Amino acid sequence: MMEGVSTHLPRLLVAIALALGILCSGRFAVAAATSLDDLIAGNLVPSAAPALLGPITSAGRVGWACKPERSAAARGYRQAELPADPSSP
Amino acid sequence: MRVLLLVALLIQAATGFGLAQTYAPRSPVPRTTSLPELRAIAARREIEERFTIGLDLQARGDWEAARGEFEQIVVLHPSEPQGSTAHYDLAIAYSNLHRNDDAARELRAAIALDPDFLAAMANLVSIDLARGDLREARKVADRYVALAPASARALYSRGIVALQSGDNAVARADFGKLLSENPSYAVAHYDLALAEERLGRYDAAERELQSALVLAPAYARARFALGVVLLREGEHAKARDEFARATVDAAGDPGLANIAAAMRDSIKN
Repeated sequence: MMEGVSTHLPRLLVAIALALGILCSGRFAVAAATSLDDLIAGNLVPSAAPALLGPITSAGRVGWACKPERSAAARGYRQAELPADPSSP
Repeated sequence: MRVLLLVALLIQAATGFGLAQTYAPRSPVPRTTSLPELRAIAARREIEERFTIGLDLQARGDWEAARGEFEQIVVLHPSEPQGSTAHYDLAIAYSNLHRNDDAARELRAAIALDPDFLAAMANLVSIDLARGDLREARKVADRYVALAPASARALYSRGIVALQSGDNAVARADFGKLLSENPSYAVAHYDLALAEERLGRYDAAERELQSALVLAPAYARARFALGVVLLREGEHAKARDEFARATVDAAGDPGLANIAAAMRDSIKN
């Protein structure tokens, strides 16, 4: 009886150790994958919002003299005053 | 003595003429004795003068003083278009004072007075993005695009809102339309690539990023994104090269440079 316990106990301990090892390595692998995805997602960010259009005189937005309103309606990205520097979107 | 007197008279006349020139050219000449009309004329005059002073203060970057001038105009409830314009200019002052909630409130007031005020909508979307209010940003951007469907800023603004809120299909459509008019705009190629990547369309994302990098070869964030897309496509060696180049190009952005270097080093040869 005692002999049986003495031979089974080391096997049981090895099995538990292996199981824990597999569990831990699996967790680390998942954690690594998650952190890599997080790393990528955190750096694939949309470009900046456009800067505010400038002030308008007391004449109001109506008329060709109102540059902000023309910029707001412009088809071209330069006239629309959109972010231009691709090195810091 | 006579000459001196003449010179003194001339100087006085010139000074008087100069003072006369300082009156605002639009200052109305009161041709009434009615007290309410005189009050209205005085109010209009005050509004004009406060606009002039407020805009001058904004041009000099004195946002606190400019805020005071535009707040006073708003209190006077000017008629249109000055009412919506005063709220709009006040919003710019608030935003520069880092009071974006107040700025958003003023822009909403401007749009309520003038429902087709595109510049106010444009600025409200940008301020809402800064405040993190994606719901209002999207609502305003939808109206902006509906009123000005070819506007580059309307398409760009809604595209950014859509990307930030995960509506990648709308972002894809808006940046695609923006690029049809502006094919040399590298930033829009980058943002379209993000939408394509999130939709799992890696070929299209790669194509857009290559276009962005042809237009702006030192565009570090686009280079990094290209590395990610190549990695997703299983092109490990090419991805590593792109991360290596992004590390160099992002020298002015230490955060991106470090992450690009980490990505480069994580890919085994």
